[in-house]
Amino acid sequence: MAVDITLSVNGVPYPLTVDPHASLLHTVRGDVGLTGSKEGCDDSECGACMMLVDGRPVNSCSYLAVQADGSDVTTVEGLSDGETLAPLQEAFLTRGGVQCGFCTPGMLVSATALLDRSPDPSEDEIRTAVSGNLCRCTGYDGIVKAIAAVAAERAAQG
Amino acid sequence: MSVIDTPAQGSSTPERPRAFIRPDGKEKVTGLGRYTADLTFTGQLHAAFRYADHPHARIVSIDTSRARALPGVFAVVTHEDVPDVRYGGMTQDRRLFAKEKVLWEGDVVAGVAARTVEIAREAAALVEVEYEVLPAQPDYVANMAPDAPVLHEGWAEYGADENLVRDGNVMSRYVIAKGDADAAMAGADVVVKSHYVSDASQGVPIEPRALVAQWTGDSVTVWSSTQVPFAARSGVAHTLQIPESKVRIVVPLLGGGFGSKCDFHFEAHVAILAKVTRRPVRLVFTRKEEFVAPDHRREGMDIELETGVTREGRIVARRGRLVLDKGAYTGEGGFFAQMAAMHACGPYKLDSVRVEAFLNYSTNQPSSSIRAPTAPQACWALEQHLDEVAAAIGMDPVELRRRTLVAEGDEGPAGQVFEKIGAKETLEAALELIGYDAYLRGELPDDEAVGVACGWWPCFGVPSGAYVKLNGDGTATIVTGAQENGSGSVMGLPILAAEILGMSPSDFSINYQDTDAGPWDMGSSGSQTTFNNGRAVVEAAQQVRAKLLAMGAEKLEADVADLELADGTVRVKGAPETSVTIADLAGTGEPILGKGSGEVPEAAPSDASACVGSLGMESFLAPQLITHAARVKVDRDTGVVRVLDFAAAHDSGVIVNKVGADGQVYGGVMMGIGQALTEATWTDEEGRQKNPGLLDYKLQTASDGPRIQIRWIEIETANAGPKGSKGVGEPPSVPTSGAVGNAIAKVIGRHVDRLPMTAERVWLAANSPAGEDQ
Repeated sequence: MAVDITLSVNGVPYPLTVDPHASLLHTVRGDVGLTGSKEGCDDSECGACMMLVDGRPVNSCSYLAVQADGSDVTTVEGLSDGETLAPLQEAFLTRGGVQCGFCTPGMLVSATALLDRSPDPSEDEIRTAVSGNLCRCTGYDGIVKAIAAVAAERAAQG
Repeated sequence: MSVIDTPAQGSSTPERPRAFIRPDGKEKVTGLGRYTADLTFTGQLHAAFRYADHPHARIVSIDTSRARALPGVFAVVTHEDVPDVRYGGMTQDRRLFAKEKVLWEGDVVAGVAARTVEIAREAAALVEVEYEVLPAQPDYVANMAPDAPVLHEGWAEYGADENLVRDGNVMSRYVIAKGDADAAMAGADVVVKSHYVSDASQGVPIEPRALVAQWTGDSVTVWSSTQVPFAARSGVAHTLQIPESKVRIVVPLLGGGFGSKCDFHFEAHVAILAKVTRRPVRLVFTRKEEFVAPDHRREGMDIELETGVTREGRIVARRGRLVLDKGAYTGEGGFFAQMAAMHACGPYKLDSVRVEAFLNYSTNQPSSSIRAPTAPQACWALEQHLDEVAAAIGMDPVELRRRTLVAEGDEGPAGQVFEKIGAKETLEAALELIGYDAYLRGELPDDEAVGVACGWWPCFGVPSGAYVKLNGDGTATIVTGAQENGSGSVMGLPILAAEILGMSPSDFSINYQDTDAGPWDMGSSGSQTTFNNGRAVVEAAQQVRAKLLAMGAEKLEADVADLELADGTVRVKGAPETSVTIADLAGTGEPILGKGSGEVPEAAPSDASACVGSLGMESFLAPQLITHAARVKVDRDTGVVRVLDFAAAHDSGVIVNKVGADGQVYGGVMMGIGQALTEATWTDEEGRQKNPGLLDYKLQTASDGPRIQIRWIEIETANAGPKGSKGVGEPPSVPTSGAVGNAIAKVIGRHVDRLPMTAERVWLAANSPAGEDQ
């Protein structure tokens, strides 16, 4: 039994017919065709699939597409126009926050959610906010510094 | 590949940029870059494997008829559908699909291609396999007993490297020997014996492996998340008995490897399914499969060490016996016995040595390269052992290391005489960064302590190749066989070429990880990319430079000796207005390209005459030296350890790309801390994995991380790579668990003798009387 839903992904509405058990991750990667969000575990353990659903970060591998019916979904592709990078994307690159890049989309989504709700986070808050996102390459150092730098820049700009 | 300007560019000086932004960065942060699992092909089918149902069993029969009959199934293949050949590095002991026996739970018995993943998995479960079940033999130490059943009954007939000393379940026996260790031990003032055991652990790239195979005519292209595309190509060609020219391996963006994606793995399985179905076939591993199925994990190791010293801290004798769990098959890990023995010696002055190492078959998952294979476990044991030795002679453990670490002119364990080397410098730097003096003065709370450990790792000098070609607009392309695993080593190659050509790194694109494009390369393994492929790029760029200078000389009517390359021009030294742009020279249509491999540096001579089973690693080429120091806090009530502060001092030669090199240390240290405290593959009594998932196999998170301070000891090194560089990627995981272990021991008064040093093991060590088993 398929279900008709509408997902708004990065501001674009997609009327879709999905299986009731289809995950938001598989639907966005497959039906919508945006492969930036990654599948690392399919069990909410690694965070590579993190998306914003109505501004809230969720592990999209463990979130049903039908649950997101009518919601605004933001993926890593929606964080910038792809040409001019968002400050977090830029900071991840300049501060060594990206190596293999497989965790990066989820990290960026979690970091975006953090700065949206807490513009001036402490280092502990930053580390906690991304503690559901596993990275094997960077030791998290560049990621934490990048998020802190963007927060500091925003604070300086008032 | 997209290229982003680095902040340090725009300067006309050819010095290395202070900060370098990786050329693949933009596609990675925007989500637009493609990893293998992001590829889709019209008409593609999905693959699934039927794995062994028992860790050890003889196959009586395989019936695929029910699986084939399932609607949506296009093919089911077994050993009957592929050439009957064995493969493996140093020992050819494995087939693509198990034929007579299965030897571990991840052995592949059959492969299925079907319309959906779900159908493929259902069909794999419908394959009927009749077994004669045999007792599992997970105890790799017991497997070397004379009466232990031999797992590979036909081992003597296998093709194998002639230098290996093999005997039944012992896949390789190695002895490193120098002087008369028995006599020296008998004459020592103090002798200390230790026994340490390490569990197996895993590489755990965040990207589970993925492959797609597609045939065009009689040629196959495999897109694969491999660290070693050329080894994968050889594996496909050998196992399917087709020429290498008919096999192309392309690696899209690679989501980490840490060694686990080294070696030929599943490319031929997917290729044969694509061949028989005449469709593209795609395989994407689940996280559980990523733990269980690859023939790659960090091996379990049983380590006995014995050291004889004088009261002044001179090491007169080192004896040791190491037993390594090779698991079911050799894979690429045939040299591990020798490598482990070298790490049981360490970068120390030893008057005499006799260390024996056995690499044993078992019915466990095979071990193979994981970041600095064998070193973290052997180093963890040796460095704790050295602290025990220091305690036995009443000396501070750091002082013992000051007196015994090798320096220029000292001899390695088989007589290698070291040239300039930064071992002692790394020790002093790490002590300063961690505040060792304050610790000695008793300024830490009594549940905290500082532990120190040293280690080393060789550079691997192997052939490699690259082309550099200029484009008509004055930009350039590097075509290389090198493989980027995320570390940035391939991304840093333009830095080397740009400096030689007076161009900016952002002027270069890189064509990489495609076996039909670049020359052969060993791949992303052995921390070798900058060391070897960097040399190739430098030589190729030098050829381009020579050509540009000759063309410029003609154009400017000047002597080549009076010209320089700078700011994208060929110009007269001291008269920069007399110049011609590289774009003008490159735009004439005459091809301007260079190719290079460079001369492979060789390790210093050593004396292996007293050694057994030598594979030529008694001498470490351009050794990298490391000291790590960890400040830890131990909760005595629970055994929970937290690393609060960490210092990493490395002699990796000259650092070409500091952001990239720092990233290797941050990541390597965190991986090392995970291996020290939480990361182990737990198994049942038959060797089946009990925790093949990220909830129960605990990686370090951002919240677990200590402050990590890094210092690079940049000294001139004999036989180094380009600009005096050495490897960077593997050493950061080598002494980490030793440093953490020594710190824990200082708090609880006893060394934890099992790795990982979990809370339970720390608590047991702290609460069991001395002399009793932990």
